[in-house]
Amino acid sequence: MVELTRVYHFSAAHQLRNLSLSPEQNAALYGDCHRPHGHNYYLEVTVAGRPDPVTGMAVDLTRLDRAVSGAVLAEVDHHALEEVPALRGVITAGESLARAFWRILVPALPAGSLRRVTVVETAKNRFDYEGGERCSKS
Amino acid sequence: MSADLAYSTRRFTFSAAHRYWVEDWSPAQNARVFGRLTVVHGHNYTLDVTIRGPIDPQTGMVIDLGELKRIVGEAVVERFDHADLCADPLFRGRVPTTENLAVVLWELLAPKLGADRLWQVRVWEDPTLYVDYRGP
Repeated sequence: MVELTRVYHFSAAHQLRNLSLSPEQNAALYGDCHRPHGHNYYLEVTVAGRPDPVTGMAVDLTRLDRAVSGAVLAEVDHHALEEVPALRGVITAGESLARAFWRILVPALPAGSLRRVTVVETAKNRFDYEGGERCSKS
Repeated sequence: MSADLAYSTRRFTFSAAHRYWVEDWSPAQNARVFGRLTVVHGHNYTLDVTIRGPIDPQTGMVIDLGELKRIVGEAVVERFDHADLCADPLFRGRVPTTENLAVVLWELLAPKLGADRLWQVRVWEDPTLYVDYRGP
């Protein structure tokens, strides 16, 4: 089994806010991040498979690119994440975005192939989501 | 706690040519499946070799990175840098996809480094695509 990771890019505006809280509460909870701002995001999508004995390919990259572009990038690139229908109700923190993108991508990819979704918000902030199963450190 | 395991990773680079081509297929079928990848082209590959092991109490190291550099240099970089992957016997009958390259690099390195020490090879074809392989 090999794991193939493709790195994608999008730019978007967002702000951290919980709609059940007042503006003052959001400002207190999220600090500077409650103000509308933006990032050059990187989205890393990892899928697993066995290289086909003839083609040598474990992953149909064209299909992967099409799925990620259609289901995610086209929705979020140069948008405000809070306005994206597919992200309704999501607090757009990196980890929540990674989970939301995971949920969008699972049905768009071959069954059982998705291993990890990583949202790189800035060079300093990176969020991985692997489906949420509890696992112990070995 | 039995062993104080840690991971050491060293990065290597090599530049190589390749194309995707299945000898048993017609040119039309190769073109249909692989598209532009049937044309000979090349990449600046990046290889991250990760060694897992206990931290030696004497040296404080998992592995001597100089040893790692020598082994990977001889087994991989000297073999593939400024070379045509398709001309290498290891790719006879094996399309040099990034997936297969990761497997080949593992097969070259595992006997020399020890399959118990070699944890992972990560091969980047370019900054947007990498494949991880941790053995069979």
